[in-house]
Amino acid sequence: MATLPNVPVPDSQLVSRMAAGEDAALGDLYDRYGKMVYALALAIVREPADAEEVVVDAFGQAWRQAASFDATRGSVGAWLATIARSRALDTVRARGRRVRAHERAALLSDEGLAAPITTAGTDPSRSVERTEARRLVSQALATLPGPQRTAIELAYFEGLSQSEIAERLAGPLGTVKTRIRTGMEKLRGLLGPLLEGAA
Amino acid sequence: MTSHEWQEQAAPYALGILTPEERRAFEVHLAGCDACRADVRVYTEVVAALAHAAPTVEPPSALRDRVLAEARRVRPIGAGPQIAPRARLPWLAAAAALLLAAGGGVATWRLTTRVHDLERSLAVRDSVHAADSAALVLLTGPDVNVVSLAGTNRAPSARVVWNHALNRFVVFAFDLPAAPAGRTYQLWAIAKGHAPLSMGTFNTDDQGRARVVLTVDRQIAALGFVENCGLTEEPSGGSPQPTETPRLLGAWRPTD
Repeated sequence: MATLPNVPVPDSQLVSRMAAGEDAALGDLYDRYGKMVYALALAIVREPADAEEVVVDAFGQAWRQAASFDATRGSVGAWLATIARSRALDTVRARGRRVRAHERAALLSDEGLAAPITTAGTDPSRSVERTEARRLVSQALATLPGPQRTAIELAYFEGLSQSEIAERLAGPLGTVKTRIRTGMEKLRGLLGPLLEGAA
Repeated sequence: MTSHEWQEQAAPYALGILTPEERRAFEVHLAGCDACRADVRVYTEVVAALAHAAPTVEPPSALRDRVLAEARRVRPIGAGPQIAPRARLPWLAAAAALLLAAGGGVATWRLTTRVHDLERSLAVRDSVHAADSAALVLLTGPDVNVVSLAGTNRAPSARVVWNHALNRFVVFAFDLPAAPAGRTYQLWAIAKGHAPLSMGTFNTDDQGRARVVLTVDRQIAALGFVENCGLTEEPSGGSPQPTETPRLLGAWRPTD
C-alpha cells in the first residue's frame, strides 16, 4: 500500500532506518538537524573548524548508536542535542579550559552570555529562520532574571560545575545552586508546550 | 537527604553539573524513586531544548558529505547478525547503548540489589562512570532474563543477560581460560523439543574474562521459552551443533 504523499517520515523512523545501516536516512536526519547541531557546536566550541569536527562526531555517534535510541525516552532532536553538546564540551575540555575562561569572561555582560546569542536572531546579516522551538526557548530564557540565566548558560554552554560557576561569578555556591534550580524550574514551566511530546 | 532535597538534584543532574560523588549518590536514589526519574526525564528535555538558544548559523555545505563519508566507514552497532567486536565496542559503551535503548519503555529501575550484585561481580564499581552504573540497572528489567552458568567443581563461570526488548544477550565470563588458537567458545540456547540453537561465539581475554553483546537470533527469539543455556568450546567460527558436552550450564530465570 502506498504511503500518503506529503507526510514527512517521523524522526524516529529515520533513526530505525539508520540502525538498519541505511545511510540515506542519516542524510535525511542531517537535513533536519544539521543546522541545529552545527549552531550548538559552534556556540560551545566557537571555532568553525572544531564545530565541524563536533558535527561529524555527533552524527557519527548517532549513526553507530541508532539502535539504542528509544523514542519513549525523548525526542530525536533532544537525543542529538545531548550527543552534540557532550562532544562539543569534550572538545573544549581537550583544548584546555583555562584559555577559554579568559575568552568567555570577556563576553560576560549584565545580560549574561545569552546576549550574543539572542541578538544573533535579530541580526539581518544572518539568514535566520526562527522555528517555533527557537522562539519559545529564547523567550523563556529572556524572562529569567539575569543571574539565573547566566548560571544556566555557563552550565549548558561551558559545562561548568556548580562550584566552578560560583567561582566564575565570585558568588556563594549555595546561591548558584538556587539560581540554577529556580531558573530550571521556570524553564520547565515556560517550555511546557515544547516538552509535552516528550514527557 | 529528604525527598525534597533529592528532587532538587534533578535539574543539575540533567545539566550534567553534579560532582561525581553527588551524581553517583543521586543515581542510587533514582533507582528507587519514580518521582525523581520523571523529573530527570523532563529536565533532560529542558536541557536539550537549550540547544535552540544557540545563534543560528548556516553550516558549510560540504559538511553533509563529511558526515555521510564518516558514516560509511563504520556500521551501526547492532546492524547485521555478527558479534559486536569487543575491540570496537568497549563494554561501557555497550552498557550505555543498552541504557539508552532500554530506558523509558521498560520499568527497569526497581532491581537495585540485582545491580549491586552485577556491579560486584564485574568488579567495575570503582571504575565505572555513574551513568554506566545506571546502565547496569537497565540490564535487569522485568523484560530481562538472566542465566548463571557454573562448572561442576571449578572456578569458571558465566552470566548471560537476555534483554528481550533489545533483542540482545549480554555475556559476562569469569575465570574462563581463553580458548586456544583456532578455537572459540560458543553459547547454546537449549529448549525442550528443539536441537540446541547457537547464541553466538566469543572468547575470553588473558584474564579469563569476557563482556560481549550478542544479537539474539530470530530462531531463538521465536522459541518463546528457553529452559537452559550451555557453553562449549568449538572450532573458530562456531559449530552448527555442539560437539562436546557443555562445560558450563545454567537455567534461565527472571532477574527478580
